[in-house]
Amino acid sequence: MKQTKYIVDTTLRDGEQSPGIALRAEDKLKIAQLLDEIGVYEIEAGIPVLSEVEEESIKNIINHCHKSKISVWSRMDVHDVRKSVACKPDIIHIGAPVSYVQIYSKLKKNKSWVMKNIMECIEVAKSHNVEVTVGLEDASRSDIGFILSMIKELQRLGVTTIRVADTVGTLTPFRTKELIETIKMNTDLKIEMHVHNDLGMAIANSIIGAKAGADYIDCTLFGIGERTGNCNFYDFIHACESVFQFSMNKKQVRYVEQMVCKELENAI
Amino acid sequence: MIRLIDNTLTSLDHNLPDKEELHSFCELLFAIGVDAIELSIPVYQQMGYLPEGQKYILNINFPEEKEKNPGFYRYVSRYEDSSDKFIYEIQMNDTREIVRLRTHQNCKEIRIVGLDDLICYDSYERILREMIHAMPNGSIILCPENTYYCASALAIQWASDFGGDITTSFAACKNNAATEEVIMALRLAIRHKPNRNLAVLPQLVRLYEKFTNKPIGNKKPIVGKHIFKVEAGIHVDGIKKNPATYEAYAPSIVGGTMEVVIGKHSGSKAVKLKLEELGYPIPSDQIIDKILKKVKSFCTEHGRSLYVQELAVMIKEVADYEADEVYR
Repeated sequence: MKQTKYIVDTTLRDGEQSPGIALRAEDKLKIAQLLDEIGVYEIEAGIPVLSEVEEESIKNIINHCHKSKISVWSRMDVHDVRKSVACKPDIIHIGAPVSYVQIYSKLKKNKSWVMKNIMECIEVAKSHNVEVTVGLEDASRSDIGFILSMIKELQRLGVTTIRVADTVGTLTPFRTKELIETIKMNTDLKIEMHVHNDLGMAIANSIIGAKAGADYIDCTLFGIGERTGNCNFYDFIHACESVFQFSMNKKQVRYVEQMVCKELENAI
Repeated sequence: MIRLIDNTLTSLDHNLPDKEELHSFCELLFAIGVDAIELSIPVYQQMGYLPEGQKYILNINFPEEKEKNPGFYRYVSRYEDSSDKFIYEIQMNDTREIVRLRTHQNCKEIRIVGLDDLICYDSYERILREMIHAMPNGSIILCPENTYYCASALAIQWASDFGGDITTSFAACKNNAATEEVIMALRLAIRHKPNRNLAVLPQLVRLYEKFTNKPIGNKKPIVGKHIFKVEAGIHVDGIKKNPATYEAYAPSIVGGTMEVVIGKHSGSKAVKLKLEELGYPIPSDQIIDKILKKVKSFCTEHGRSLYVQELAVMIKEVADYEADEVYR
């Protein structure tokens, strides 16, 4: 029997960050409804703190999509999390940088600060009874010891799913397997794979991640996203529908692509 | 030792490039770290001669073609030949076919083409090991096909974990692993040939596009024209503080440059950076916020990022309005 895997579509968040496009509220709603219809498990609808228009657009998606869980993306910042909570999504995803280059160079903070901040953010979200997933940003270049200690704390606070993000797309199949298996060995948390295609390995790494124990796979329509893009939804299903069970088939994904190619053409 | 064979020049027979361009293309492939270049007979004839000091492989269909074209490092064909300098190529579309290798024990080198979906198998690493064991006296060159967009990943794994030889093509034009992806991944993962000059890649792209009359996709890993454009505020800010935060490698390594694009996802730091880049004076944070609001609303309405000229107009509008407010 094939294992069931779940698609998290991030076309409306990471996909839209592809330079060149800016989706209007009606475009976002159209894309979300099509993804909802084909049974995408979770639709990452956007970033509420971006603007009031974006916030309204996300609320509109939440009101019109009934099958998929709707999530919003938030920086590890209490103000951003409050903005996210106000949209009343099913899930708030909080991105927590975990690599030293992200913590020390970008944030100019330290590991204790990251730990303290992510805990505060989770508490704020949890106090509003919203499910929280935490993204381990740049996990592929991080110290596994720090990842595991953070996971322990996340589990204590009731987080049930973590996103393992290959933020700069440098994972190789071997490293992907090693990383996911190590996390699986040390925790019961569910794992979501989020990879980028910088070395042309997004599909392969997503498959390897799923085989190693990730239940959720992040994809975007046409594989749009920052730089070389994310894991291409159609190509991923096409590559591994013989080994995994999904809620949709590749024909349905192709149909959605055909319906929205005009809206996304600037990002392809 | 890893040996990377590029077979791009076996795919141009229908529209042969001129001699000098073919020689330049080969020089550039060697410069980026290719170990041997595979040619078709028509391409070899067009080149006229083989430059000395490099390894060339001739793709042939019949045994007599080997005699007629001496001087190659290797010959590759789909007929079986156990002589030295010969690579016997076999197509394998199913892992169960690996047992076939036992019947070719006399061959010195075998190239396996296919195995598109190998990475989906639970036991794919075991299968790779079995391939090595099946040929104790010979070596295997893997040429995974790219039907499921996993060829580069498989090639990397074969090369880095099993020390095997691989065949690739530029921009994956022969539906196998992409040469440039494999070279960069090997460089990042195991520091294979870290000193090779990848800054010539844009020259290779220009020649390749001219040869094939097909543009390379804007988002194509390593060589796409748009892969170093950055718009999201969080990324621009990160890259400004330390490029390594959001770059797997410096764009300059592959002859590219980072470009800040202003759009719906830009933040105030990105706007400041762009103004600096354009040589404009940096206004107060309050004015930057006003510009940013205008940018976001314009981009959302038009469904795209901003052109530089549009940004200049917007800055002028906000500045004029602010001046009016001051004097009112």
